[in-house]
Amino acid sequence: MSDEESWRRFEAVALPHLDAAYNLARWLTRNDHDAEDVVQESLVRAMRYLGGFRGEGARPWLLQIVRNTCWTWLKANRPAENVGLDDGDGPAHDIAAPAADEPPQVAMRRADRALIDQAIAALPAAFREVLVLRELEDLSYAEIARIAEIPIGTVMSRLARARAQLRSALAPAAARPVLRPVPKVAQNGGPP
Amino acid sequence: MSTVDPALLHAFVDGELDLKSQLEMEQRLAGDPALRQRVEEIRLLRQEIREHAGYHAAPETLRTRVAALRSAAGDAPPSAAPSGVPTPTAASKAGRTIAWGRWLQWRPLAVGLGAAAVVALALQLAGPPPSRDEAIAAEVVASHVRSTLGEHLVDVASSDHHTVKPFLSSKLGFSPPVAALPLEGSALLGGRVDYLDGRPVAALVYRRDNTSSTPSSGPTAAPTARRSSARRAATAPRTGPRRG
Repeated sequence: MSDEESWRRFEAVALPHLDAAYNLARWLTRNDHDAEDVVQESLVRAMRYLGGFRGEGARPWLLQIVRNTCWTWLKANRPAENVGLDDGDGPAHDIAAPAADEPPQVAMRRADRALIDQAIAALPAAFREVLVLRELEDLSYAEIARIAEIPIGTVMSRLARARAQLRSALAPAAARPVLRPVPKVAQNGGPP
Repeated sequence: MSTVDPALLHAFVDGELDLKSQLEMEQRLAGDPALRQRVEEIRLLRQEIREHAGYHAAPETLRTRVAALRSAAGDAPPSAAPSGVPTPTAASKAGRTIAWGRWLQWRPLAVGLGAAAVVALALQLAGPPPSRDEAIAAEVVASHVRSTLGEHLVDVASSDHHTVKPFLSSKLGFSPPVAALPLEGSALLGGRVDYLDGRPVAALVYRRDNTSSTPSSGPTAAPTARRSSARRAATAPRTGPRRG
């Protein structure tokens, strides 16, 4: 196969899933620059493995390469991170109060987004990858099992635990104390 | 209270249980409101994450680097291709080359699309209105001729528009205007449901000087264009019978 031909095949197989590749790498490295490096490295590997690609499930195929490249990168560059699977307490949720000129709904949306992103970022990487592949890439348990090289039962339990952690991290959001300045106003006795 | 494995509950919400477990879970849920509550919570959380979690699309800088991979794969010897991080200038140059290549590839298509749009616009301006009306007029005449050739002139035979109107309304889903005496010396014979311009319409049959006439009426709630064409169509057959 000529260089031109193999590039064309690579372009057709891998490049449509560049967003998915970057999204996974970005969630695993939690950093724009590192994610770009990892994706580039993954694409170089993908070009090399292209001969072994059987022609179906291009996205899971590419994501598996990205995922493995990510883990290699994480082990080399952030050895201290995500060793255990139970250290997912996460940082405190210091979400800024909405700006005064912002419509409340927009502020709520921004707060939701920031809270959820923080909560996902705080998950252990092994949980995070399963959650991102499921909720953001909408992949089946079987595909996730293949990508993460774990049994389906492990996909199930990790996803359940990831969601349980998210739920407790987001529990304060349900009460939304920052977004309800009403009681404060009432205390001051001022008219709205 | 339940001792269900939470993983199974999540798999249930994800639609990932096999049929047997799915049915078992549904059965348990039916008899366990607390479990239903948990399922609902998982659903809400899932929805919340899917709606709000940030999706990181590949940035432009990455696309530029991907383009540089191509020149690395094509020009450089294969051993140099992996792990080579291109310098920014090389990368952006390659990016520009690719961008121009793309544009040249797509330009004929863009021109073609533009031309097609112009032709479509011209057709829109010149073509449809008369031909559409003509087509409807022809349909009305054909329908009228068919009705006079056969026995089936009317679905409801009555000279009373209070009888004809409700009948047609019930068949059509809209209430057509039924005039008792649209022209001097005419008499209502009845009405029928007809099919015109792709939808059911009311056809009213009148007799005047021993000729029958069949104005058709579309839904009054239809868009103006349709209504006006229906009205124009409705006038067409009146001349037809007189000629005959």
